[in-house]
Amino acid sequence: MESIQKPHGHADSSPYNFSLWNIWVASTLLKILLFPTYHSTDFDVHRNWLSITKLLPLKDWYFENTSQWTLDYPPFFAYFEWFLSRLVPPLVAADGCIKLTAQDGEYGYLTVIFQRSTVIASEILLFLALQWLIDTSSSLKEKKRNFVIACSISLSPGFFIIDHIHFQYNGFLFSFLVLSLVNAKLGNYVSCAFWFAVLLCFKHIFLYMAPAFFVYLLSVYCIKHRRFSTKDGILANLKLFLFDTVIWSHLFQLGAVVIAVFAVALGPFIYYGSMPQLLKRLFPFSRGLTHAYWAPNFWALYSFIDRVLIQLAKRIPGVEKFLCLFLKKSYPIDYSNANSLTRGIVGDVEFLFLPEIQPKHTFFLTLFYEMLSMIQLFINPTYQRFLGAVTYCAWTSFLFGWHVHEKAALLMIIPFTFCVVQDRKLLPSFQTLTAASYVSLFPLLFGSAEWLFKALITFVWVVVFQTSFNEVCHFSTTRTRRVVALDRLNIIYVFLLIPMCAIIQMIDIESRNFPSLQKLGFASLMTYSVYCAFGIVTSWNSFSWLYFLDDSVWEEKKAI
Amino acid sequence: MARIVSLFKSSPLNDFLIPFRKAQNQWVARYIIIVFALIVRSAVGIGPYSGEATPPMYGDFEAQRHWMEITNHLPISEWYFYDLQYWGLDYPPLTAYHSWLMGKLGSFIDPSWFALNTSRGLETADLKSYLRITALIAELAIYIPAVQMFTRWMGRYYRKVTTIDQTIISAAILYQPVLIIIDHGHFQYNSVMLGLSLLAVVHLLYDNYCLAAILYVLSFSFKQMGLYYAPIFFFYMLSACTWSSDTHSFDLQRLISIGLCVIVTLGVQIAPFLIFGGLGQPQQILIRMFPFDRGLFEDKVANFWCATNIVIKYKKLFTSEQLKAMSLALTLLGILPSSLVIFFNRRKELIAWCLASCSMAFYLFSFQVHEKTILLPWMPIVLLLNEVDPDVISMVCWFCNVALFSMWPLLKRDNLIIQYFVLGVLSNWLMGNLSWIRRFLRMIKLPVKYRDLATPVLPHNWFWSLVIVTSYLAASALHIADAFVQPPRSLPHIWIIGNVVLSFGCFMLFWLWCNYKIFVMCTTPESKLKTN
Repeated sequence: MESIQKPHGHADSSPYNFSLWNIWVASTLLKILLFPTYHSTDFDVHRNWLSITKLLPLKDWYFENTSQWTLDYPPFFAYFEWFLSRLVPPLVAADGCIKLTAQDGEYGYLTVIFQRSTVIASEILLFLALQWLIDTSSSLKEKKRNFVIACSISLSPGFFIIDHIHFQYNGFLFSFLVLSLVNAKLGNYVSCAFWFAVLLCFKHIFLYMAPAFFVYLLSVYCIKHRRFSTKDGILANLKLFLFDTVIWSHLFQLGAVVIAVFAVALGPFIYYGSMPQLLKRLFPFSRGLTHAYWAPNFWALYSFIDRVLIQLAKRIPGVEKFLCLFLKKSYPIDYSNANSLTRGIVGDVEFLFLPEIQPKHTFFLTLFYEMLSMIQLFINPTYQRFLGAVTYCAWTSFLFGWHVHEKAALLMIIPFTFCVVQDRKLLPSFQTLTAASYVSLFPLLFGSAEWLFKALITFVWVVVFQTSFNEVCHFSTTRTRRVVALDRLNIIYVFLLIPMCAIIQMIDIESRNFPSLQKLGFASLMTYSVYCAFGIVTSWNSFSWLYFLDDSVWEEKKAI
Repeated sequence: MARIVSLFKSSPLNDFLIPFRKAQNQWVARYIIIVFALIVRSAVGIGPYSGEATPPMYGDFEAQRHWMEITNHLPISEWYFYDLQYWGLDYPPLTAYHSWLMGKLGSFIDPSWFALNTSRGLETADLKSYLRITALIAELAIYIPAVQMFTRWMGRYYRKVTTIDQTIISAAILYQPVLIIIDHGHFQYNSVMLGLSLLAVVHLLYDNYCLAAILYVLSFSFKQMGLYYAPIFFFYMLSACTWSSDTHSFDLQRLISIGLCVIVTLGVQIAPFLIFGGLGQPQQILIRMFPFDRGLFEDKVANFWCATNIVIKYKKLFTSEQLKAMSLALTLLGILPSSLVIFFNRRKELIAWCLASCSMAFYLFSFQVHEKTILLPWMPIVLLLNEVDPDVISMVCWFCNVALFSMWPLLKRDNLIIQYFVLGVLSNWLMGNLSWIRRFLRMIKLPVKYRDLATPVLPHNWFWSLVIVTSYLAASALHIADAFVQPPRSLPHIWIIGNVVLSFGCFMLFWLWCNYKIFVMCTTPESKLKTN
């Protein structure tokens, strides 16, 4: 530690090498070894998009529906696929990579190698963005902190599982979020808006975070925060408020940048008149509240309670009648479509006892919490508060959103990684959140071949970064009111994930010998999502507590 | 005063592990390298295995599975007799018992994996995962702790290196690709045999002769190839009895107890066969283990006989009996120096050197050698990384790369091409052998920190530098030719033969260098060696 504690120690003289180069090489080699792993239908989706952008003119991209995997990402992603499709070598194209079929694509190993390489290559941008985060640190201590952030993001098991096995381009997409956040940290608000607009045009799921960006940029860059004194009289104050609050030039800058980005993205499609079709593809509301495998959010718990009530009503006489009276349902309940435990595998979930959930309910719940968090951000727009708000927005939308996928957990983990180093009080909820969300990704890879890999990589990530964050987090500046026992409970929760995964895996293995265990197939998935949902909801509670009630966490930290 | 190793100073391995160098965190580093070693192995295990989807005979994967099948369903007396044409059991009894146990455990999961006769050629994803995990557990339980114990002893008592540097050295050993790719790619349980031998060496270092003897016997009764180490173990223990440091005279008690340990260990393993199968069993086991009627060499392998066979057609010139005698004579000559050295000059730091030289002599000159047999010399040679000497380290790295290269034809057949290149790059890069690339990356303004290149890729001696550079260039040329140039019709195996000749040349030179180093070391007084 001796050289670390020197106030102006030169980076090269420290034993630490604050370069992500090593991390990149090691993880890339590992990712190449993952080429032969299982890939999901998302692989075929992206292959189909390559074919669409390669074979069809731009105006038909959003109309093409030969395959069921239609293009439903915003235009920049389509442009990205267009760019990739230019790079497809003829050998790979002939291998089945470029082909529009109604069936699932028939492609060989060459296509797999090509597409997986594009994921690895596009992810370089994430490493560059994170390296920039490290290089723009103001002190050695902050550099160390940012290095831990960068490592934890670049080595995240989420990217290994979702991008390099399951197949998606999240690493590439999140690099734009990182660029945007780093620009906000440096005070380059126009660039921040620019990169976030770019991000939105790549994947519209980031719209959930948009309120935080909007309010923060508006408040910190376009509005003069001042104290009004009573001496000047009401009229003068009112005049100041009305005509000298908004910094119009800044507002126009931001507006121009954002509109320019959207114009580039949407312009061609407006020109061809395919905008309505594009919007229809981007925002389909025909899907159900939850997936077959419940994402670990509030609705998982809600559905679980309904399941428990059904079982209670069926087994204990009298409960059904009471519940029907209490929940205003018609008695007796028709169990016909609730009978099998496999009911969850069919997409639409109908609740028997609890009230039905409409898209508008989820929308209002999300909006309510997001707006609630915006108030403090608007009044006191610090960078720290902004990170908290981004995390909070992503988190509430994950918890209450309509048709949320467990992959969306990265949406809150990445911004949370940026703000967890601000205060050690945030650490317990960060640990619970990351452990629970990464474990909830396990059912994505259902095969036995990847089981050991996903378990080991998640385990080692949790252990390594639990200790590293513990070392680099700011100590709380104020006396903490948190109960120590709660932190202990939190560690117990994280450790109980291990036996849970092990037991479910054992049941899964043994179900081939014992038919009685086969019925538990859905129950084990339900255990995953309910247990993880429990962790994510409770850590959200403690995060909300800190966000709304503990201002010391969100203050500007003095550079040490 | 503890020496600080500067050898791996600018290597990525050092960069990864240096954050753990505080005394209270050093144990973390030891476990971190193990977990990542497991992650790399499990990632390799996702890839293909030998004989995947190639009926009717498949490959080593099917052989291992088949042994689990027959040991679980047949009485012990039939194990070495059953349908010998289809992967009949030809490993020693401990492998049979190990197969029985793995088969039993696997049958709890899915009995159909090991159903008699009907399971032949079974290739389900779950079966593959199960066998992969058993290989991983075997390595985790035996080989990995043995490596750590060995480096700890060497670091503590011989070369005096700090704990974190011991961890770095054991990581350098654990990420060597040869064993990873054979055990977890191609699929075998070599880590059990190698790990037991290594544990035996560790116990020799701690002067536990009986335990060492038991472990070594277990090692070669898992896989007969372990006998390549036999001369060194034998002469070391004999020397320990002849010039005992306790009694300063011939230690008969020690000799008898070692002998008893060997006999009892062997006896316990053979006993079930004798009891349930009768006296004919041991003979059949020996016939299966040592198939001398299979000829001098089978496939293309980088040893003396196969390489020189290009010019001298042995099989036409000599009878099988003559060839056996010739190979026996050459092998004995080859193992003589190391055996004599370890007998007359019993020093603990020489064990790894002598094991390397002895097993290399077997590989180069003996009968019926397979390309995977390079694992035997490979194991003691990577242990030489504990000699904290830049010249030795660069020679060892060179050997490891050539060893990997010599298995290229086999791995290509197994379709382990990606794994071959990735693991090759990974281990070299981790040890800093690729650091020179940083200079070029820095020129094109990539975020690379430049530090002095403390790790020498090449030894100081110009001759060896020339040899190493030439061999790397030739190997690259062969790879390029193999990938892009169609071999002439008259010589369809030209690239494989090129591989064999090149690897043989390198192995031969390495063996000579190894013997030379042993000679230098045993003529240098011990005190001078330690302060060096």
